Amino acid sequence: MVGTPGVAREGEPGPAARADEHGPVQATLLRALGVLRFVVLANALVLYALRSGDYAHPRLGWVVVAVLAGWTVVAVWAYGRRSWRRAPLLVADLAVGLGAIALTPYVKGEGFSATLPGFWVMGVVLAWAVVWRAPGGLAAAAAVSVTDVSIRDDFTQANYGNIFLLVLGGAVVGFLSILLQQTASQRDRAERAAAAAGERQRLARVVHDGVLQVLALVQRRGPELGPEGAELGRLAGEQEVRLRGLVQTGSSELVAPLGERDLARLLAELQAAHVQVVVPGTPAVLPAETAGEVVSAVESCLSNVRHHVGRDAPAWVLLEELPDAWVVTVRDEGPGIPEGRLEESAAQGRLGVHQSVVGRLRDLGGEATVRSAPGEGTEWELRVPRHPGRREPA
Amino acid sequence: MGQGENDQPDQPDQPDVSDALRVMVVDDHPMWREGVARDLTEDGMRVVATAADGREALARFPAARPQVLVLDLQIPEPRGVEVTARVVALDPSVRVLILSASGEQQDVLDAVKAGATGYLVKSASRAELLEAVRRVALGDTVFTPGLAGLVLGEYRRLSDTPTTAGDDTPRLTDRETEVLRLVAKGLSYKQIAERLVLSHRTVQNHVQNTLRKLQLHNRVQLVRYAIEQGLDDEPLG
Repeated sequence: MVGTPGVAREGEPGPAARADEHGPVQATLLRALGVLRFVVLANALVLYALRSGDYAHPRLGWVVVAVLAGWTVVAVWAYGRRSWRRAPLLVADLAVGLGAIALTPYVKGEGFSATLPGFWVMGVVLAWAVVWRAPGGLAAAAAVSVTDVSIRDDFTQANYGNIFLLVLGGAVVGFLSILLQQTASQRDRAERAAAAAGERQRLARVVHDGVLQVLALVQRRGPELGPEGAELGRLAGEQEVRLRGLVQTGSSELVAPLGERDLARLLAELQAAHVQVVVPGTPAVLPAETAGEVVSAVESCLSNVRHHVGRDAPAWVLLEELPDAWVVTVRDEGPGIPEGRLEESAAQGRLGVHQSVVGRLRDLGGEATVRSAPGEGTEWELRVPRHPGRREPA
Repeated sequence: MGQGENDQPDQPDQPDVSDALRVMVVDDHPMWREGVARDLTEDGMRVVATAADGREALARFPAARPQVLVLDLQIPEPRGVEVTARVVALDPSVRVLILSASGEQQDVLDAVKAGATGYLVKSASRAELLEAVRRVALGDTVFTPGLAGLVLGEYRRLSDTPTTAGDDTPRLTDRETEVLRLVAKGLSYKQIAERLVLSHRTVQNHVQNTLRKLQLHNRVQLVRYAIEQGLDDEPLG
């Protein structure tokens, strides 16, 4: 096929490759265009050979036609190389076409109808359209049209039709070029994402079968080996929880639409040696902003547990899906918060938990309530409406 | 995990089951399988069989006739969920305790619906494991907060799905929902009993009912499916 020498280099993007430029698609379009260029060249050659006897300067005409033929070969080869599809090649391509048109009156003499290159200029316009999109196609078509009109004494209906089709063709092919390249780029990204997710799942299986099992075993066996073993077991347990969280994330990232997050997964990442996170088996998809605020509120509650109950104090986080709301409960078994204490500190200007939990939830159109009794620990209930209608001012 | 529900007081009528308790351990990881088997043996239970995959488990189960099957969900085919369904069909008196390392949520839920009555994560301590095996053998359900959350979510999902023929969708009573929520929040049965002013046994019964209804529903669905597919002349197990 024409233009094949450049194919091997298609994989590497050029130094100034545009984000939506897709090398392989461009190359395919230009290869198809290469075939077209030889067809229109043959057309120009045959027409000239048939009529060269009638022209004023047939020798010069043969030179022009030979240059067109030579340039066609060079151009098809050069367009095949991605790094060469830049301004110098495109401008030279156009210059050859325009030059051939400009020499037409001298070669053919008065009263000519077709230019020397004829339909050959179509190749130039379409190449501009493929590489420089609709604007490129329009610009090249305009340059060719202006040159064509300027060498004529009279302007016929047929000339107008040719120019009109040329401009239209340049714009349409330019538009299709960008559309095809963008589609191909999107497909490539989707394929890469799918491959990455698949690889991640494979890794998760491998990690599960080996590392997680061993970590769990160390955690369980450790305490039987004395205090040092117990410490080892504790460390292994912490790593097990983190690693498990890591290998389990990933697949759902691809499922949630843009701007939304799975609250269940975000909360599950808070799971730690002393924090148990309980979520339903189905994803809880919320707007990303809302989910982020809820997670921040839960983190505030958990940090409160660490400060007021103890660094290693156990805590539980439960996510529930009710018909009209998401409810997150954060519970600890500490001494509890004395009644009126939160309001009191808020009144004293110490915002702390009150601000970061109650304020956050109110801004989301929900509410946060705390239930606490001496000896029964503290239980925060964060309620986020599932269809946020009105937003109460804070 | 599981701190919440293992501080059950000794039950007055608890027989000394550990002497004769027959247990089978299924796990594809040799080190883990032997570790669990050793723990159980040291505690006086009899490990009547071990298996490394679902095929082995199903082949050895009929002869071993264990009272409790300690089962890892992620084993080579057939997987844990299917093994649970098949052994419960073979011997409805067997108790299945799921021991899962990574807590694949859907798998755990499916196993419970297929008839498992206990669930522990692998990082549970030795004492927690032994306690869980004993309690499962007694017919109790061993619930973690995580499992309670999954079961709550499953009832929610079922109630959201419109039923087609006849309304046999299992639903929780208000009391069951309340108890299950407290389990999911990490309260022990004892704490729940105190908070709701109920007896320990009542709490236990409420929790068991939530699983029983799911399992029953699952069986009804399977039978209905079999009839629809024209398989009703084949024995189901």
